[in-house]
Parts: sequence; C-alpha cells; structure tokens
Amino acid sequence: MNPRNLIPVCVVIALYLAPAAAGQDAPSPKTSSSRHWSMPRTPDGQPDLQGIWTNGTITPFERPRDLAGKPYFTQEEAAEYEKRVLDQNNRDRRGKNAEEDVAGAYNEFWFDRGTKVVSTLRTALVIDPPDGRVPALTPEAQKAAASRDAISRRLPEGPEDMDLPVRCLLWPTAGPPMLPSAYNNNYRILQVRGYVVMLIEMIHDVRIIPLDGRPHLSANGRQWLGDPRGHWEGDTLVVDTTNFTNKTHFRGADENLHLVERFKRTGPNTILYQFTVDDPTAFTKSWTGEVPFTRSTAPMFEYACHEGNYSMVNMLRGARAQEKAEALKKETK
Amino acid sequence: MLIRLLWTSILMGSVLAAAANNQQRHNRTMQGKPDLNGIWQALNTANWDLQEHAARAGLITSLEAAVAEPGGLGAVEGDEIPYLPAALKKKQQNFETRLTADPEIKCYLPGVPRATYMPYPFQIVQTSDVILIAYEFAGAARTIYMKNPPESPADSWMGHSVGHWEGPTLVVDVTSFNDQTWFDRAGNFHSDALHVVERYTPLGHDALDYEATIEDPKVFSRPWKISMPLYRRLEKNAQLLEFKCVEFVEELMYGDYRKKVNK
Amino acid sequence: MNIRTAGVLVFAGIGLVLGAATALAHHAFSAEFDASKPVKLRGKVTKVEWINPHAWIHIDVEDSDGKVISWMVEAGTPNTLFRRGFSKNSLPLGTEIVVDGYQAKDGSNRANGRDLTFPDGRKLFIGTPGTGAPYDEKK
Repeated sequence: MNPRNLIPVCVVIALYLAPAAAGQDAPSPKTSSSRHWSMPRTPDGQPDLQGIWTNGTITPFERPRDLAGKPYFTQEEAAEYEKRVLDQNNRDRRGKNAEEDVAGAYNEFWFDRGTKVVSTLRTALVIDPPDGRVPALTPEAQKAAASRDAISRRLPEGPEDMDLPVRCLLWPTAGPPMLPSAYNNNYRILQVRGYVVMLIEMIHDVRIIPLDGRPHLSANGRQWLGDPRGHWEGDTLVVDTTNFTNKTHFRGADENLHLVERFKRTGPNTILYQFTVDDPTAFTKSWTGEVPFTRSTAPMFEYACHEGNYSMVNMLRGARAQEKAEALKKETK
Repeated sequence: MLIRLLWTSILMGSVLAAAANNQQRHNRTMQGKPDLNGIWQALNTANWDLQEHAARAGLITSLEAAVAEPGGLGAVEGDEIPYLPAALKKKQQNFETRLTADPEIKCYLPGVPRATYMPYPFQIVQTSDVILIAYEFAGAARTIYMKNPPESPADSWMGHSVGHWEGPTLVVDVTSFNDQTWFDRAGNFHSDALHVVERYTPLGHDALDYEATIEDPKVFSRPWKISMPLYRRLEKNAQLLEFKCVEFVEELMYGDYRKKVNK
Repeated sequence: MNIRTAGVLVFAGIGLVLGAATALAHHAFSAEFDASKPVKLRGKVTKVEWINPHAWIHIDVEDSDGKVISWMVEAGTPNTLFRRGFSKNSLPLGTEIVVDGYQAKDGSNRANGRDLTFPDGRKLFIGTPGTGAPYDEKK
C-alpha cells in the first residue's frame, strides 16, 4: 500500500509553505484546506488534477519597485492593494486624455483579470530571485530584446511586427509558462493512462504531456509551446519542456529555453503551479515564478481567434493611413 | 498428425497470447466502456472530395502533379449529397472558386466532421466526464461533454458536442455551428443549421468505424451519411506535432496592407 | 522585453497583468482607432458577431438628414460575457444603443466601443440576464 497516502495533512501544508522559507516569515496562506482533505487520486494512483482551473490574479508578475524588500502582504495590505488596483484598472473609468482613453479599449465587463492577489499573499509571481524580479538578460539577449522593442514602438509595417496575441498565434495564458492575462484565464486538465492533458482556452491550445519517459523531440523539432515531458515526483507533477522556437521570447528568453513546471494539488480547490526558467544564453541566472490555480465552476468556451481577426487588417490599414497623413504633412510644410 | 497438432497448439497459443495482450493493452476503460484513447487518422481522400471522384488536375500549374487531386472512393453512403436546388448552385460555385474560397486555405478551424478526415492525426483523450479531441490541423480542439453539458451560448467553428454511449459506440451530437466551414476541398458546405451525429465504434484494437449523419434543412433535402475507418497510429512514441498554420497564411491575408518599400 | 514593470500600478489605462504588458499595448486600440476622432453614435443593432478575439456590434445610425449610416463597433471577448450567463440572444436586433468611442484611423465607419450604454445611460451587459449569474464568482 502506498505510504504517501498516510502523510498527515499538516505535513502537506508544511511542504507547501517550504518554498516560501527563503529567510522570510510567511503569513498563513489563504487556503481553506480542511484537516480532513486528502489527496484525491486517479485509478492509476496519481494525484487527481482534473477539472477546470483559473489562474486570474491581480498580483503583478514582478515585485513593484515600491514594494522592494517586501515579499508578502499582510491580509490588510492585500485587501487594500486589491481595492486600489481594481479601482485603477477599472475600464469604466475613462482615460485622463484621449490617447489613454483609446488605449483603455472598452468597458470593464469585457475583462476578467481576477479580483484578488494570490492566496499565498506574495507581492509578485516571481519568487526567485528573492527580490521578485526577473534576473538581467545576457548582453546578447538584451540586444535582441532592444531591437524587438524598437519594432514594437514604431508603426507596424506588417503582421510580423505585431505581438503574438494580436496575430492570434499565442497568448501568455498558454505560454508555457501558463500565466494569467486580461481575461479567459481558463484551463481544463484531464488525466488518462500515460498522459496529462491541458486544454488552454486561449487559443484552444492543447498540451499533451506524455508520462512514459520517452525522449524529447530531436533538436529539429521546434514548437511554439515547446515539447513537454512529464513525470511524478511524489505527489508533484513535474513537466520538463524544451524544443522552443526563436519566436516566443518569453521575458527575453531564446530558443534554448528549458522550462520546468511543477503542479501540486494543495487542497480541494487549488493547484500550486511553479515554473523555473533555465536559459543561460538569455538570462544571467535561472529564475522561478509561482501562481496558484483555483477551481472554476464556469465552463470554457471556444476561442477561435484568427478566424475573426478583423483587427489585424484594421490596424495595418490604420498604420498605412497614419503614414500617408504624416507624409502629406511633411510635403505641405 | 502429431506435427499438425503441434502447429495447431502453437497457433492457438499465439492467438490466446494475442488476445491476452489485447486485454493488457486496455481496450476497455475502468468503467467498462470502450477505450478510444490514442492517436487516430483517416486514410482516404475525403478531405479532397467526400464523393467518389476521379483524379483531376491541380489548380497550381507550377506545382503540377504535386497538387493534382487524387481519385478516391467516396465516403458518402449512396454517393449522393442531397442539395436543395439553390444550394447545389452554391456548391458548384464553391467548387469553381475552391482555390481561393476553401477556408482550409486560410488555416481556419475545419469544423466537424471535416476535422476527422483531414489527412493529419488527432488524439482522443477520454475520461468519463468529457472526451477531448485534439486535432493536429490548426491546433483545432473540441470538448465532448459526457455529463452535465453546459448550454451553448453562441455559434462556433467546432460546434457544441454532447456525447453518450450506446453499447460499444460513442454517439456525439453536434450543434451550434456557424456557417463558415466546408466539408471538403470540393466545396461541399452547410449553413448554421447544421446538425451532425457522429458514431465511433471500435473495430478491434487499432481501428474505429466512424460514421457521421449530416442534417441541414437550409441546404439539404434530407439527412445524409458518411462512413470510414479510422486507424490507430502505431509508431512507437507517436505524438501529435504542432501545425500552427496561421503564421503561414499571414502574407496571403495581410500582404496587401504591408508597408510598401519605396525604391 | 518588458522593461516597465510598475505598469500595472502606474499606468491605469493599460493596467493589464500579463506576461508581456508593454507588448499588448501594441494591440493598440491606438493603432486602430484615432484619439483625435471621438464619436458618439446612437443607433439600432443590426447584427452582432459574438466572435473572438473581439465581438463586433453593427448598428445603423441615422444622421441629422435622416440618412442611415452603418457602423461596426469593436468590443471585447464574448467568452467573458458567456461565463456571466449572457448569450447571442442578449442583445436583440433592433435594440437601440449608444456608443461612445473613437473612429478608425483609416476613416472607415468603424469605432471602438469604449463605452457601450443604453440610451438611458445604463451600461450594456451589466447585471445578470435573469439566470442568477451562476458563474459569477466575483461576489
């Protein structure tokens, strides 16, 4: 019989809190794990991660400068922060000027970012390095990022100048790592013999993660979402993903990105998701982020993107119109 | 005589061993339902043309035989697609303009049942609550609700699928389609009234019998049915690879709006 | 790639918690719509495309001479509304709405639906459509 089943819940909670150690005092997390909760398992004996989950949160990706040295909120600070951010982000608040107003896009009822900070009360999704900020890029990666940045600041010349979500190619919710965005932060996890499978709402991507120990694709097999391989370490699903392309540049990463994700069910309604970015040609050191996934009772819907992407044409036409107007202004000077 | 007996027992032993092996390969799930998990693919010309057709020249002359359209036996029972008169004209128009009008060209989601018989593999992920089918082409995916299906709030490309078991057969009822997909490259099409009922029945361990009944009162005078085998991909370590073709069609779709470089 | 990280707190106009916050600024609604061309349209809904990445609401607007002009109004992802219980039946054809937005940069009759209301000022799609919003977890 599996001795894992006999580990009392308090040990599970202790393990869950362990990554928070790093010399800081962690307040008790806002999880509601009851003393009687025990890890549900699939018929194969693996922890059951199945269901629909969401990772929406208003916790920022990196720790803001004005929260330096502060890895955790207190409950009161969290409530205050939530109130302030929700108020500031509320798109029913019109912009201070026309430019800001246009960028606000549309009403708040179209958004669904989540309303709360993460249940761990951390002040950022990045948890290592301890300052909660992504480590510096290597000089080469910095140069590449700077030229990409320059392109994104000028008028788009063609579709390739647009960002991946705008091109309907890839959203940060899919990544990987799978990170919350402005809306539709939903995932369905299924488990069958030999696989863990994750359906990501945007853009209907499916990560099919084999557990049978097969090797990764060869170096020629490059994919937008990489090539994942999974295995269990105790009750944690560890997913090792390589074979990325040079088209995604997650936070400045390159095609040598090696991503290790960990999924640990920590209660009836939570999975703690951690990811470690290992990419020595792009980052000066490895770094780790964490965002809890909580159970959702709402269905997922089809997100067909490219099929209805009128905005792509509109944006390019707008850019051409703006160029024309600017050229005319120059001529008449 | 003895040798004959020996060979017979060896043969029987092999048959029994194979049967036992099949059992070990879990062709039934824990709940006693047929296990459709795996990677499957159709092996026919249905994506070219659902009806029986002879080979015909391709439409890109510079690519000659590489894009010629192969002949094939049809997948339609009775080989007739019962179009209403006005709809038949539209089908013919689709056929004539298929080089530009086929939504496959723009990497649009292929809809159902076309996703099943595009010449690329798909993976069935079967649990008791939902069955997810992930298709290689355009990364299409659909969720088949086996329990407590939600309501469908609007039309979609891959439809809204509700499934149940009838003995060894998975029956999937698909509705809520938009009118944007085609059934094949020959221009067979439907309206937003499309209703598809699929049936997946195991044929041994490595094949499925696939049937789909298609009903659309705005386009067809009666329901009609297609059927074909689906074959399990048997390669060791078979896996779906990404086929994110959106990137490949950007120039076609947006090239006209690109900044012109003045010489 | 993302240099500005305090964007969430400081820049409320593009306050998005994303893996690439500055990058999404490029969907710029500002690339598509002209901040110097604000519009206020009042018209009857003739078609609603409940599609992604953006829903589009088509309205017929009658100008002062009685001429009818068709506009296309860009909105957000309908999936968010679906999860709140709304559906394709939630904005019936013929409904009169008011669109406060900005016109497309290329001068076409397209606008972003920066603020969508009914003529009496109530925002569109606020509150439940009578189903008790079973999926609304933001209590």
